[in-house]
Amino acid sequence: MDASFWILQFLNAVQFSMLLFLLSIGLTVIFGLLHFINLAHGALYMLGAYIGISAAAATGSFWAALILAPLAVMLIGAVLYFTLIDRLRGAGPMNQVLVTFGLIFVFLDLVRMGWGDVALGLSAPPSLAGTSEILGVKYPAYRLFIIALGLVIMAGLWITLARTQIGAMIRASVENGAMAATLGINVGRLFFIVFCLGCVLAGLAGVVAAPVTSATTGMGISILIPTLIVVVIGGLGSLQGAIAGSLIVGFIETFGAVLLPGFAAVLAYILLAAILVLRPQGLLPARGH
Amino acid sequence: MFRQTPARSLVLIVTLAGLAAYASAGGFFAREIVIEIAILAILAISLDVVAGFGGMVSLAHGAMMGLSAYTYAIFSVKLGWPPLPSALLGVAASGIFGTLIGWITGRTTGIFFIMATLAFGQMAYTVFFKWRWLGGDDGLGGLSRFDLGGLGIKMGNSLTFALFALVLVLAVYVAAAWVLRTAFGRTLTGIHVNEDRMRALGVNTVMHRAQALGFSALLAGVAGVLAAQHVQYISPELLVWTVSGEVLIVVILGGLGTLIGPLLGAVIFVLLKHEISGYTNHWHIVIGLLLIATVLAGGRGIYGQVEHWFSRRPPPPAGTAEAHDA
Repeated sequence: MDASFWILQFLNAVQFSMLLFLLSIGLTVIFGLLHFINLAHGALYMLGAYIGISAAAATGSFWAALILAPLAVMLIGAVLYFTLIDRLRGAGPMNQVLVTFGLIFVFLDLVRMGWGDVALGLSAPPSLAGTSEILGVKYPAYRLFIIALGLVIMAGLWITLARTQIGAMIRASVENGAMAATLGINVGRLFFIVFCLGCVLAGLAGVVAAPVTSATTGMGISILIPTLIVVVIGGLGSLQGAIAGSLIVGFIETFGAVLLPGFAAVLAYILLAAILVLRPQGLLPARGH
Repeated sequence: MFRQTPARSLVLIVTLAGLAAYASAGGFFAREIVIEIAILAILAISLDVVAGFGGMVSLAHGAMMGLSAYTYAIFSVKLGWPPLPSALLGVAASGIFGTLIGWITGRTTGIFFIMATLAFGQMAYTVFFKWRWLGGDDGLGGLSRFDLGGLGIKMGNSLTFALFALVLVLAVYVAAAWVLRTAFGRTLTGIHVNEDRMRALGVNTVMHRAQALGFSALLAGVAGVLAAQHVQYISPELLVWTVSGEVLIVVILGGLGTLIGPLLGAVIFVLLKHEISGYTNHWHIVIGLLLIATVLAGGRGIYGQVEHWFSRRPPPPAGTAEAHDA
């Protein structure tokens, strides 16, 4: 195992962390705003992958799929919002967990009806099909694209949250929703916007992941647990927490799989249990939590 | 607070008698269904004790059941012990596991408790998934049933085993109902309704919760031994978190905090599964929509809803008002 091996693993870990980040950021801000737990977030990721595959087949372009699938997932999210999510806002975590758990089953079967039960692949665009030389190793260009995309979105969200008016409104509402509402911020509408953005990012993560992992009906459930671990470890409602949590879980799962085959998952669970017991607010919680 | 109303006793007796009649009259397939119902019902009653009366929604109940099944296999298959002491050790192992989880997570509530139980359950799952000595992901076969030949009872007979499973359901229900009616059970409900007040009254709420989860895990352990003896083969799939999620659905459909509801939920869940599978293999969507409809209709579940219609008094606290902030 020479240096290039470790560089490869490092890049794999960063790439997986970026996918986790795209999924967890929506989940954590939604929770931070209204303490809403959306277990169906993983199902939206799965829908993103399947819709992306169909969109790529219909248009013949990966890039079109990369735009269309997240938008389609956002539409689905908006429909969900007006039919279910909005009603559940004050219903307590138990009911939210149960309804969104039910949604997992519904989406699972809808995808099986629509696309069948076989794994579907999506090929990376020709411009990203080869390998690139980075840090002295050959690495698939498409995976570098995932890393770059994740970093761009991370920076964009950071600037939005830290520097824009809507970012300030979101931060204020996460910190103290009642006070923000008193000051004239429409927390409900803000929640809707954040929910839609979370759906877009989940859908985007789905399309982006499809060429690497291929789409299966189990992908939504299997990504849900690592995403929840990221959210809890990082601290609910915080961007920095989602970034830190994604990197920690991404690196634990990737390096754990290499160094301690089979027990990588246990490492993540031990970390989750330790955080829940010793520091339940998470590593980098949003203020007010 | 739990009340064993005459209506609940009646439903219990009629349901168990109905299942016994179904097993007696039906063929091998009917008996398999009755055993499947019995295992699920025991696990659901076990979950209802902590989720319905203590507000502790656990996603580790599948792991508790599986741990008991594996412990049974370790002692009976690997070490050659007789089935009865092996079974008791299996149930005890599950009880200790539950108490430990409850003790470690004693201060977490709500979604954090759910996540913590998920973590511990999945840890146990991964351990058995990787443990080659116990077959790893291939599972382990060659388990035996209780030998009651001395009493003239042949457990190898599917009807006998189905009736034995129903007796266990009755025993678990009676044990749960009895514990919930003691001071221990009332204190558990008290902690759920107002933890600060119970602490002010001098109750060690963390220890009390841990003991409640331990008791619930003992009952889940009974389901584990029954499951292991039923198919005489075990695999890590018993422990995976979706099993716990399924049990939670059964409890919610039947009626959280009613104790008898989970039994009805198990009957309906298993029958629906086999009925719907006859027409289509998309039965998940049916269960998903049923779950969503149940929660949107007030979350009382089937038995809770019926009880709600018939009761002139305000709805009993355990099943309704508390369920929302559980």
